Parts: sequence; C-alpha cells; structure tokens
Amino acid sequence: MRRAATIGAAIVALSAIGFAVLAQSETDEDLVEGLSFLGEPVTVADISAGQALYAENCASCHGAELEGQPDWRRRLDNGRMPAPPHDETGHTWHHSDWNLFIVTKGGVGAVVPGYESDMPAFEGILTDDEIADVLSYIKSTWPDRQRKFQAEVSVNDKGDL
Amino acid sequence: MTNSTLNFEPDRRHFLALGMGAAAVLVLPGAVRAADRAADIRTLAFDGDTLLIAGATLRASLDGGRSWQERPTPSPVSSIATHPARPGRLLAGLARGGVAVSGDGGSSWTTRSDGLASGEVTALAVAAGNPDMIYAAIRGDGLWKSEDAGATWALAMDRPWLDAAERDPLTLVSVDLDTGMGGIWIYAGTEKGLTRVPDCFCRWQDVQPGNAMDALAAGDAPPAEAPLPADEPVLSLASALTAPSKLYAALPSGVWASQDGGVVWTHKAEGQGRAIALHPRDENHVAAILNGALKLSRDGGATWIALAIA
Repeated sequence: MRRAATIGAAIVALSAIGFAVLAQSETDEDLVEGLSFLGEPVTVADISAGQALYAENCASCHGAELEGQPDWRRRLDNGRMPAPPHDETGHTWHHSDWNLFIVTKGGVGAVVPGYESDMPAFEGILTDDEIADVLSYIKSTWPDRQRKFQAEVSVNDKGDL
Repeated sequence: MTNSTLNFEPDRRHFLALGMGAAAVLVLPGAVRAADRAADIRTLAFDGDTLLIAGATLRASLDGGRSWQERPTPSPVSSIATHPARPGRLLAGLARGGVAVSGDGGSSWTTRSDGLASGEVTALAVAAGNPDMIYAAIRGDGLWKSEDAGATWALAMDRPWLDAAERDPLTLVSVDLDTGMGGIWIYAGTEKGLTRVPDCFCRWQDVQPGNAMDALAAGDAPPAEAPLPADEPVLSLASALTAPSKLYAALPSGVWASQDGGVVWTHKAEGQGRAIALHPRDENHVAAILNGALKLSRDGGATWIALAIA
C-alpha cells in the first residue's frame, strides 16, 4: 500500500515538473528576443495585441505605417505640432520606456507642464497593460540601432521626466 | 569795432581753448568711429584666444582686444559660431541668407547653404559634443540642422511657440546638459524670452528644474526658480563648455548669468546688452556688447573693462 502511494506521488511530481518545463519552453519560444518594456520581457502575443490596439487608437494620427502626419515638423494653424512618426524617422526612439508610458497615459502635459498638444491622455481609454502592448509593438518595428539607443536611454532614465 | 578786438593778443586761456579744440578735432572722430564700429557689432565669438566681432564687417583680435585685424566677409554677418575642436574654423550666419564657412580664421570663405531655406540666418550654433553638427535659425521659417559642417541642411523643427505665436530664435546655443533622451539641449533666446529644445527635436519647452516633476508628484514645494525678466527679449546666449551648467545672456537690461542651466539667473551688469561670448577654456572670461561698447570681464561678469575697436 505504502509502495503504491509512493509511486503515485512520484508520478504526480514528475507530471508537475513536466508541465512546468513544457510551459516554460512555450514561454521562451513566445518571447521576442532583445525586446523588453519597462524591464519586462515582451511576447509575440503582446506585440500582436499592441498592433491591433495601435490600429484602433493611434493610427488615425500617427499613421497606419507609423509614418506620422504629413510635414510633421511644421506647426499646424493652431500652433500645435502634428503627430510625429513612430518609426525610425521620428524622435520616439529617443525617449525612455517610462517617458513614453507617461506621455501615452497622461498626455504630453504630464512630462512638459502646460504643453499644448492634440495628443489625448489615454488613461481611462487603455489599461496600463494595453499601453505597454502598444509601445512594445512600436518598439518592435525599430531597426537595431534605434532599439539599442532607446534601450540605453531607458536604462539611464532615473525617473526624471 | 573796438581796439581790443583789432589788437588780439592771445593769452594762456586762448592757448588752452585752442589746444582743447584741436584735441577734440583729432580725438573725437576716432571715438565716434570706435562707437560706430561697436554699434555695427551684432555677434561675438572666441576662436581659441582670438576674439571675433562681426556685423557689417568682421574683426579679429589676437591680443585680448589691444589691436584688431579686419577680415573679409561674404556679406553682413548676423551670427558667428566656432568650436574649440575646430580651431580656425568660423561659421557665419548671413543677414541676407545662407551660411558661410571659413577654415582659416576668416581670411577666406565658402558659402554652404545646400538645402537651407532662404532668409536671414538669425542665429547659429555648433553642437557642444559634435563640432560638425550645426544649427541655424532662419527668420520666419524654422530651425535647421547640418550634420556635415554645413555641406547639407535639413529642417529640424518649426520655430518655438510662445505667447500665442511662433517666435524667431534670436540666438542659439548648444548646452551640454543631459536631456534624459540620449542627447543634450539647444537653448534659444526670443523676443518673448528663453526656451529650449532637446536635440532629438521633440518639442520646444520652458526651462525648468530637473526635479520639478518629482516635486509635483510628491506634493513637495516646487524647486526655486528665478527666470530672466519676462518682458525683455533674450538677444544673445553663451554656454560654458568647461562648465555646461553656466550660462550667460545679454538682454536690454544687461548681462545675466546662471549657474544651473538657466533655472536661476542673477543680474551681472547693467546696461543695454546686445551680444555675449565665452572663452572656450575659461567660463569666467566673458566678452559682451554693453551700452554700445565692447567690454571684457575676466571674473564672470563681476567687473568689466571697455575695449577700443581700432
């Protein structure tokens, strides 16, 4: 009787280890190499979700291909700046993860008090995880040079905005 | 007519008056010319130890302002810029448009305006950490940059928006202080005061203490600020390469200095300030146009001596 119980416990333990290894290997396969957001690894699913959210919430201004509004370095008639591109031709990759997150959640005024922008604050529209997914998607489109530059900026960001 | 008039006999008073009159005739035109030359100056710069003054003409002094050599200019100069890593190289923003470059201290010039918008170059600056990165402000247009010492140009950003309108940068300076965006700042003086933009050109913004947002988030009292007078144009700016937090500004109220990147300013000299420059190796060695005269300070603006422009 005791012997049967021992064998049963061993089977349960081995099964648990097997599932854990299997789950771990699936997660590893799902991770996007060399990409993180706020220090957390980014998965293919995060990027896929971010791409869909970007299309719904951001593309109308920043462009379906992240190309920004035309002539985005020139002011609009209202004095505000057009939406910049999020690809490597813009300046998004100069900003840390934390800065991008705060700007998206709270609007540009959250980092530059009093700054007037057509960009809305997405707090209450997107969850923190959804904002992270959108920004992870944007980061995933950058060439290596921009990714490395931005990773270093993020590491050096001490929280000052 | 009296005998005394007919029989004029000069006395000591007459000789004194005559001497003073002759001295005035000889000296005053020179003084007027010197004042005219100072009035002509729109911009100052140091090329190593050489002090440069430019406007309708360009003059250089290799001996601290004791003597001056006139150099040619392609056309009147509105702004001049140098960088210690490129001794002898002068960059001139031209009042009639375009940028000219000299590799020999101003003896000869080449125009470099490929791709640059037309119009007066109101301000010119060299990036503190990259001597081949040049910034130029074009009146009525925007801020342009060249990554190859002026050979080619591209629009970097529109002009700053201050007090409900776009404002021309009247002066530009690259300030080697970290933006937190992988680069440094470009400060601009305008008719509506001081502003700055990171060299990624994301947005013009006010100068504020680096920890202002932390204090706001924590509910603490905001850090101390003492900005430049709000009702005056900022006509000229200079940043110390040897101490990047140290800035100088020339305003109609005089010369102002900041020790903290432009958050707190102190009034260093009264008078009508117009242009200012800093020696590349000594942040206390300041040249300025004050009340129409060229003046030099060796102690960070505490005391000044006037320089004659012969």
